[in-house]
Amino acid sequence: MSAPPVVEARDLTKVFPMPAGPVTALGGVSLRIDPSEYVAISGPSGCGKSTLLHLLGCVETPTSGSIALDGRQVASLSDAERSRLRLARIGFVFQRFFLLPMLTAWENVELPQSELRIPKAKRRERTRELLAYVGLESRADHRPSQLSGGEMQRVAIARALANRPSLVLADEPTGELDEATGTQIADLLDRVNADGTALVVVTHNAALAARAGRRIAMTSGRLA
Amino acid sequence: MLPLLSSLGPLALALASATPAPAEPPKILVTRQLAEAQRLQIGDVVSISGDPSGRDPKPFKIAGIYEPTPDPMRLVAKRYEARLHLPDLMALNADPKDPLSAESVTAVNVKLRDPADAEAFGRELAARVPGILALPTARADDGAGPFAVLERFHLAIALVTVLGSTAFLLALMVMRAEERRETVGILRLIGISRRHILLEVLVEGLVVATAGAVFGVVFAWLTEGAVNRFFQWRYDTALVFVRVTAPIAARCVSLSVPLGVLAGLAASWALLRRDVVALLRR
Amino acid sequence: MSPAGLAWRGLVRQPARAALGVAGIAVVGALLFDMLLLSRGLVVSFRDILEGAGFDVRVTATDAPPLLGPPLRDAETLAETVRALPEVRDAVPLRSGKAEATAADGSTLPIYFFGTGSRSGHGWTAIEGSGLTPSADAGTVPVVVNRRLASRLSLTPGSKLRLRGACGSQATALPPVEMKVQGIVAFPFDSSAGLTAMTTLPGFLRVCANESPGLAELLLVASKPEAGADAAVAAIRRVAPGLHVFSNEQLLDRLQRTDFSYFRQISFVLSAITIFFAFLLVTTLLTVSVNQRLGELAVLRALGFRRWRIVSGLLCESLLLVGAGGLLALPGGALLALWLDRILRTMPDLPERLHFFVFEPRAVLLHVAIIALTALLAAAYPAVLVARLPIAATLRREVVS
Repeated sequence: MSAPPVVEARDLTKVFPMPAGPVTALGGVSLRIDPSEYVAISGPSGCGKSTLLHLLGCVETPTSGSIALDGRQVASLSDAERSRLRLARIGFVFQRFFLLPMLTAWENVELPQSELRIPKAKRRERTRELLAYVGLESRADHRPSQLSGGEMQRVAIARALANRPSLVLADEPTGELDEATGTQIADLLDRVNADGTALVVVTHNAALAARAGRRIAMTSGRLA
Repeated sequence: MLPLLSSLGPLALALASATPAPAEPPKILVTRQLAEAQRLQIGDVVSISGDPSGRDPKPFKIAGIYEPTPDPMRLVAKRYEARLHLPDLMALNADPKDPLSAESVTAVNVKLRDPADAEAFGRELAARVPGILALPTARADDGAGPFAVLERFHLAIALVTVLGSTAFLLALMVMRAEERRETVGILRLIGISRRHILLEVLVEGLVVATAGAVFGVVFAWLTEGAVNRFFQWRYDTALVFVRVTAPIAARCVSLSVPLGVLAGLAASWALLRRDVVALLRR
Repeated sequence: MSPAGLAWRGLVRQPARAALGVAGIAVVGALLFDMLLLSRGLVVSFRDILEGAGFDVRVTATDAPPLLGPPLRDAETLAETVRALPEVRDAVPLRSGKAEATAADGSTLPIYFFGTGSRSGHGWTAIEGSGLTPSADAGTVPVVVNRRLASRLSLTPGSKLRLRGACGSQATALPPVEMKVQGIVAFPFDSSAGLTAMTTLPGFLRVCANESPGLAELLLVASKPEAGADAAVAAIRRVAPGLHVFSNEQLLDRLQRTDFSYFRQISFVLSAITIFFAFLLVTTLLTVSVNQRLGELAVLRALGFRRWRIVSGLLCESLLLVGAGGLLALPGGALLALWLDRILRTMPDLPERLHFFVFEPRAVLLHVAIIALTALLAAAYPAVLVARLPIAATLRREVVS
């Protein structure tokens, strides 16, 4: 018997009401991500990749369809419960890193753990471990403005892994990086996946997409 | 002109019975406030005594109700006043033992042909009639009067408010400048000089500050009526408490516009002093 | 990291903005604190003066303010009757008038002149010499003077003082009366520039020979501690029903409604304006700050931070900003109060001991409560913005921008 999926989406539809008329960003998408799976989603701009990622990450609610995360139907959850789910089970990596500029690298990684009320000693241990994992132990006290783009993205990945999520969602993780740095990040994402975390990456980068175990193409709000 | 009765202090006032006095009583005027408080009307006959105990009252007929001249020095006093003919007032208060009491008054008001002669007239009169005090009613402000003191107090409050507003204004300008950091960085990158950017900030600041100052003056002018109406109701007076005059409006605009412009320039200069790379860096 | 910790980091990230915001709130808060002091300052100060005079009940002929209405008749008899009441410790008739003295340079000095029936030296604070004790020489009129008059005419206990009465509303040509200074005292209602002298009732009539005997503008009464002012007032009203009798508290209540009402009104109006001002500008500061950080806030929500967690961070930011300014406002307000008090006390004929701004612990508590409430209310609108933030749309917008 195969393990239950980390996330399962059925007939997801997302329609955005616009002044000029409703826009269907997603039209009936079904998707299943298994534990430790590495999925890359690519497609032209505006095809609905990021919308799908936001729905999978419970950051947005679908117009219709269902999403189950670790077997729980997301639609029946309150906003607080969805927040809790994101904190404990999902990690996010964004194209623009989105580190908190007033916190150091250490504090950015520690932040989700303190929100989950992890005891201080355990937080310290986990944060040190994660910064070493991404190769930035020596830059722990540096603020994002003192880090390069690649270093910031590594801190963001460490932050995403802080609470040992079962799923990491990465939206164009190498979009703002040069080729060499992008390769470093791609290598790091490979390690994350190899260590057992399911990974869904939305990307234009063909080289990054090629590293995934499953590649999905999207076009006009549907899976190709 | 009937003399003001109030200088004699409070008098006993009693509404006479409906039965008219045998002879037509002398006529008096009463203030609106007194009429309202005692429910008096024109034609009523009232008894007035010169003694606080109400001893030996005399009847008077109300010939009219008047609004007393607003007096800021008597803002909180109840204007329960009446005006009598001078002979009637003297008859009311004369001391039979003192023949002079029937010929004495508290003050004589003099209206000159030329008001500018007031000081000279007062000096000449005091020299001709020793023992009297002859003073112009419009005296030079020596800064010690209660209203001069209140004016200084209000000015001090205004200064403090301006100080607080300036701090906030600077904070808002700093935030605005920070919002434009990247834009300014790009402009500097493509070669636009600091001076040019400051000039733009100056013009923008002038327009915004002027618009704000004018809005403030208009708002003050619109609320002036509400403030006056409230305090006139509160103190039952016709005094005007707030008046937005052209000099006051000009003073406010001449203070707020430069402040606004300077705040914008100061905040922008703090930004422009940074190098281009720092401006463009996230 | 706690909401307060994150809020603190958010504020110090933009030190200039935070410092200016705190400075602005400190200035406005200082004004608010002063208006709270002003709202009761006159009453508290006047109460101190009244109680310091040693009398807690006053009797006048009518309800005109003390010393401004018609006089009491047969005042000494009335004083004896009141003194005999079991609720009363002492009753002192007081006459008031004006006198003149001639300075060394020949100029005429106007003097506030009083006659008192006090036997025990109530009603002033002795600085030098004794009180109005009867002199061995029956022809000598004893007088006590305030420090300003003593300094102006170089008087010491034992000096001679010649006063010409200028009592009543009519001009007089009374002869000067030689008086013997028995003491230099501080009168409770002395003004900063006033020259004051007080003698006995017979002495008053010698100086103001045109005045009728047996009158007094005011009867000052001290109740027995075990009875209290209210019991004394009731007892006096029973024996003298036609007169106007009031305790210190009743006088203060009347003054609050009349003479002090302007300052109560202005303190209320200015308090309201400063609160609104602080509210408006803190709301603006926080709203602009939130709008500049929408991306960060959306990320925090995406990471799993609940709505309330982020709103509480914003409330902490507001409390820190307004709280820091509010605390600085206290010493600032104290200094400002000294300045404003000095301005207002230049009003003519005010008692020197009267202050408009008087410190009360109650004012500090009220100030803190108002500041805290303002901070919470000012954060309301930006809190709504934060709570309703659409996470995905904001993240999308941040990427595009």
